[in-house]
Amino acid sequence: MAVKRTLVANRGEIAVRVIRAAQALGIETVQAVSQADRDSVAARMADRVVVIGPAPSRQSYLDARLVVHAAKATGCDALHPGYGFLAERAELATLCADNGITFIGPSASTIDALGDKLRAREIAAAAGVPLAPGTDQIADAGAAVVAAKEIRYPVVIKASAGGGGRGMFVAREASDIESSFDKASAEAEEVFGDGTMYMERYIENARHVEVQVIGDGKGRVVHYGERDCSVQRRYQKVIEEAPCAAMPPHVRHELHQAAVDLLSSMKYMNAGTVEFIYDAGREAYYFIEVNTRIQVEHPVSEQVTGVDLVQAQFRIAGGERVLGRQDQIHVTRHAIECRINAEDPSRGFQPCPGRITRWRPPEGAGIRVDSHCHDGYQVPPFYDSMIAKLIVTAADRRATVARLRLALDAFQIEGLVTNLPILRGITAHPDFEANTIHTRWLEHTYLPELKMNERETVDGPH
Amino acid sequence: MTKPSAEDIETLVDLFNQSDWEEMHLKIEGLELFLSNVPGARGPRAVALEAAASTGETPHEPAAPAPVVIPEGMVVVCAPNLGTFFRAPKPGSPSYVEIGQAIEEDTEICLIEVMKLFTPVRAGVAGVVHEICVNDAEMVEFDQPLAIIDPSAR
Repeated sequence: MAVKRTLVANRGEIAVRVIRAAQALGIETVQAVSQADRDSVAARMADRVVVIGPAPSRQSYLDARLVVHAAKATGCDALHPGYGFLAERAELATLCADNGITFIGPSASTIDALGDKLRAREIAAAAGVPLAPGTDQIADAGAAVVAAKEIRYPVVIKASAGGGGRGMFVAREASDIESSFDKASAEAEEVFGDGTMYMERYIENARHVEVQVIGDGKGRVVHYGERDCSVQRRYQKVIEEAPCAAMPPHVRHELHQAAVDLLSSMKYMNAGTVEFIYDAGREAYYFIEVNTRIQVEHPVSEQVTGVDLVQAQFRIAGGERVLGRQDQIHVTRHAIECRINAEDPSRGFQPCPGRITRWRPPEGAGIRVDSHCHDGYQVPPFYDSMIAKLIVTAADRRATVARLRLALDAFQIEGLVTNLPILRGITAHPDFEANTIHTRWLEHTYLPELKMNERETVDGPH
Repeated sequence: MTKPSAEDIETLVDLFNQSDWEEMHLKIEGLELFLSNVPGARGPRAVALEAAASTGETPHEPAAPAPVVIPEGMVVVCAPNLGTFFRAPKPGSPSYVEIGQAIEEDTEICLIEVMKLFTPVRAGVAGVVHEICVNDAEMVEFDQPLAIIDPSAR
């Protein structure tokens, strides 16, 4: 049944984005807020606001019971989790199902299966998707050293319940494993409640490429092309683009098919992303994981295909047959997204919440800004430091990079420190222009160069 | 910040009367003040509530809770979390407290239920129940006023 009223169980720009999509479809919106967000843009846009708890997310946005109770008590028939917070907690999908509320996302069992990275590897292998050589569960550092010998260094050791680089490290020799294994496992235990570790061969100088898909829950899955998210800092994406210009068409075609095969094998429902490592030199790709939510970087796929993915999420959850034929979805343009964060690059990218005294996003053809900020907005200290996404679209990569540089130059934010200068620097760098970057480029090449240049500037010519 | 006194409110009303404003809507520390020089005007929350009522739908409505005015010297007991408000321990049993009843600091005044988990709320102050701000079985938001206690009337 079509969704009539949805609870928005998130904050910031994605709450605004979800409300816009709902409004375009004539769906009523109830915005769940913490006390810190009661005057937010999303709260003003929604038909109703419910204060679910105090500012700390553990007592508000991270409490599935409060969120579902609020949805039920306000007569919502659906709940959109956005990304982050509870979006990939099977518990939320289960509670929604138990209370007759449509969860805008996959089923609890799908979230559970894919959230366990070892199970996800098994599912991928069964669907014929290439995996980097790796192991099953590893008991301890000793077993890891033995396994690494067989797989060959360098290896990456990951938490089965993990994500976002937590409980994960790269080892180039046995001593790396001996010094880091227990620490990583303990971190995984603490953050995810599960210290299970496994190992994969580490692919040097790889790109991060991912495929956006939507499934109808009956086995039909359609993809919306791929995104290249290789500009990363500490496994966090900084700049994302679509399509991946560094990938030849025959590899791209295979990659899309692998993503579709994987998710259709489990009758995937709603939007999801299949992530891969791409070794451009060998034209080889390897499965990493599936994200069972709408992602931060979804707008670049929307820009190049012309499909509103969040609206599609609501419609597919409402039982509409919205998936077009695959051959009707065309990637016709190029788009790049920059994440603008309230953080100070000169102080280890420390988050810098505060009041925005002047907010002037760029405007013009091919420029989209997804944000919840405005003049006078107080960025609260309790949550993620992302304050905007700048998405620029043009005919091809070269034109998009040129337009992006102008848009970044025109973006004015005063009152707090942001990463805008770094974004301007990255997009002006010859390696970015030549598209020869990889996932460690920002940390291993760009930031060290920046530091050296700054030192020269400070010391001055003698 | 302390709660505005009666004099503060008088000053605000005077300021409003002297201004050329049409409406003033003020929220301080749990007090909500709506002033208007338009005849028949009502506060935005009251309007929202009436609009909801006029459609004849259930209380399961996207309507915000009504504003609560706290008389000077009284103490308001607020919801410790979001949930459903219950005045009695079980359907059909007598309410925990009635208006005018003398209570102690640890007297239970209501239950709040979230997903079948019931948590009693204590008064936190001794006095007399002056007002119950929420109807039975209604949803309350975090920090929403539940009851007003008069600590001096004992």
